[in-house]
Amino acid sequence: MEAVTGPAPGLRILGVSEAARAIATTVRADEQLRDLWVEGEVGRVTISSAGHAYFALKDERAQLQCVWFRDERVRSPFQPQTGIRVVAHGRVDVYEAQGALQLYVDSIQPSGVGDLAIRFEQLKAKLAAEGLFAGERKRPLPPRPKVVAVVSSPTGAAWKDVCQVFARRWPLTRVVLVACQVQGDGAPESIVRAMRRIERYVALLTEAGRAAEAPVVTILARGGGSMEDLWSFNDERVVRAVVAHSIPVVSGVGHEVDVTLTDFAADVRAATPTAAAELVVPDRAEFASALARGAERMRVAGARAVVGASRELDAERRVLERVHPAARLAASRQRAGDLLDRATRALRVRLQGAAVAEEQLATALPNLASRLLGSRAAALAEAGAALVVLGPQATLERGYGIVRRSSDDSIVRDPAQVSGGSRLRIRVAHGEFPATADEPPR
Amino acid sequence: MTDPTDQAGANAADAPIADLSFDDALAALQKTVAELEAGGQRLERSIALYERGVALHERCAKLLAEAELKVQQLVTRAGGALEAIDVTPDNARDAE
Repeated sequence: MEAVTGPAPGLRILGVSEAARAIATTVRADEQLRDLWVEGEVGRVTISSAGHAYFALKDERAQLQCVWFRDERVRSPFQPQTGIRVVAHGRVDVYEAQGALQLYVDSIQPSGVGDLAIRFEQLKAKLAAEGLFAGERKRPLPPRPKVVAVVSSPTGAAWKDVCQVFARRWPLTRVVLVACQVQGDGAPESIVRAMRRIERYVALLTEAGRAAEAPVVTILARGGGSMEDLWSFNDERVVRAVVAHSIPVVSGVGHEVDVTLTDFAADVRAATPTAAAELVVPDRAEFASALARGAERMRVAGARAVVGASRELDAERRVLERVHPAARLAASRQRAGDLLDRATRALRVRLQGAAVAEEQLATALPNLASRLLGSRAAALAEAGAALVVLGPQATLERGYGIVRRSSDDSIVRDPAQVSGGSRLRIRVAHGEFPATADEPPR
Repeated sequence: MTDPTDQAGANAADAPIADLSFDDALAALQKTVAELEAGGQRLERSIALYERGVALHERCAKLLAEAELKVQQLVTRAGGALEAIDVTPDNARDAE
């Protein structure tokens, strides 16, 4: 639309939409506005019928309209209330239909905690850049650890939960508590000292030739709490101690939703203390089932051995019967008779021996079968005829897979280990197949 | 220092089954099953292996069923020596 009258030559009159679009384009081009933290006081909050929250963030001189959509809002344990100070994270954009410049919020925390969230992100970025969270340095856990160290508060529920899991699932393990504070100003140092004590204990036992008595896994256990309560596990000293620990570390800190930097640094992250203990040892009921399947396999092999032996005897008997008439025609009847006698005697001895053995096995098999079936009928009824107690087979059978990078055979635990076009090998219960990674979303 | 795996193997071969630890009994059981499955041995050997396998399986199952969790706490003695002492989950010391 060309302006012929009115404004000075060279200027254009924009439609409202064009103007709004121009503002939106400028706003969207600004990197800072795409990802920002804003601290302020919450004004009046309205919740629309669709569940979106609309409010203003204010300070002494300015205010900023905010919208927090339902999906993100309902997931947050914290809700904005008029008059409180908060730190909101999100992006600034223009809602063109109303010409409104708004902060599209994706998370909100009370002021103060917001500082922690920022410190968390900064420290995470710094430590990640050092490679402390790299998938390559994660160590595998031993399958059935004889001794497990637990760094926790002796009076906390987390420690008791861990003990309960071990007592129920795998009481063959010895659990060694290494007491520390898990919250408060002194907690990070206390946690680090506890980990050092474990390292010293492992080293002392190893030097004394008693390595078998030393812990082979350390669990860090602490129950749920606020971000401040769990802050010790975001402390740089603790994170570095986890990375440097001489045996693999499993973190079980907080509830499912809590994530700490210790979780990133640990060799294995568990959602809770209970889950940490469950990851460290197998379940004895499942293990007993697998053993019973192994015994069943043995029964099959034993039965096959008996059948095979009796077939051989049959074959020998037939050979002897064929030899018999030919021997009669031999020049020396006496010699042939001797030969036949000797062969018959030898065969009779073998047959008797085999019969005895067969009888032994015949009595042993039903005994074993009834013993096995009596106590573990359900386990034996399972189809699997493999002794899978050592390997990951049982897990694979449940539908899990193991993804390896073809280039170095390393197990993929983090999407960051894979780039677009990476060659992969995927192992599932009944075999393995190759795959190629797509370009991961950024 | 002796190699723990060698030791386990020797124990599994020599010690009476009733004295085997869980890991030794399990290792011996796995070896026995593998040998039986490979086949090719004399019948007497098969039966002996089989009977041994049954006894080993029973040993493992018994240890699994009867095990009781041992709970300890690592404490620092005067002079800095470390020692693991027996505790219960409820009476652990509230001290480093």
